[in-house]
Amino acid sequence: MDVKYINPFVLAAQAVFKTMLGIEVAMGKPLLKETRTTSGDVTGIMSLVGDRKGTVAISFRGKGAIFVFNTLVGETAEKVNADVVDAIGELTNIISGQARKEFENNGINLKASIPMVVVGTEVETNFITKLPVVSLPFYFGVNNNGDKEVMFLDFSIE
Amino acid sequence: MKVLIVDDFATMRKIVRNVLRQINIENVIEAENGKHALGMLDKEAFDLIISDWIMPEMTGIDFLKACKEDEEKKRIPFIMVTAEAQKESVLEAIKAGVDNYIVKPFTPDKLREVIGKTMVKFGRQM
Repeated sequence: MDVKYINPFVLAAQAVFKTMLGIEVAMGKPLLKETRTTSGDVTGIMSLVGDRKGTVAISFRGKGAIFVFNTLVGETAEKVNADVVDAIGELTNIISGQARKEFENNGINLKASIPMVVVGTEVETNFITKLPVVSLPFYFGVNNNGDKEVMFLDFSIE
Repeated sequence: MKVLIVDDFATMRKIVRNVLRQINIENVIEAENGKHALGMLDKEAFDLIISDWIMPEMTGIDFLKACKEDEEKKRIPFIMVTAEAQKESVLEAIKAGVDNYIVKPFTPDKLREVIGKTMVKFGRQM
């Protein structure tokens, strides 16, 4: 698990949550996924090509996805609907773009596909590479009661 | 101030609208792609265009070029919003005549700053 591939995603997630959602995220322990499936209920997926190739998947549980939509858009969704799915796709796009900027600062140039969003749990995903999938959990508060949700940032790059 | 937001993702248009609301810009019209936006620009007056970069049917760059080639539309300040922070994308937009750009993620204050600087270039205020 090369830290040079992890740090850009960590910095990107922190920057995007801070600027666009106005909240801090705290990264939990990175781990290697045993299955090549989505980690949450709503997942944005982008392929990466260029100096490296791979895939990044950004996944939320339903409650977290709704929170992201409500905060980004200023409206209230009661359930995961098409607008919420769109919002996760856009957040995936923004985090990926920010991460690619960090990669570029380290001399690694990458381009990304338009994000695809899948809805469902443990959806089998082709991460393109044969390497293990690294999963970075990011925890964030969703209300004043101390309730937390998690964003899973899963990637495999070679 | 009347702003035209151009983006193929409805949710992204709502996100930008939400950010504009936070800096007291409420008069916002949306277009879902460059072609649709050009039609709206023919019918209504706008003070500012905020456009996405990557869109189907007509890309942000092609929409920008179409505006800058038109005697009336080129007088409207044009800001590109992009998640593409890579230098070649920014250079391409500058060569095509973009008045300013902002890279996602951005805060309301950052958007206000970029809009303010863009309007000053045109001798106008927010």
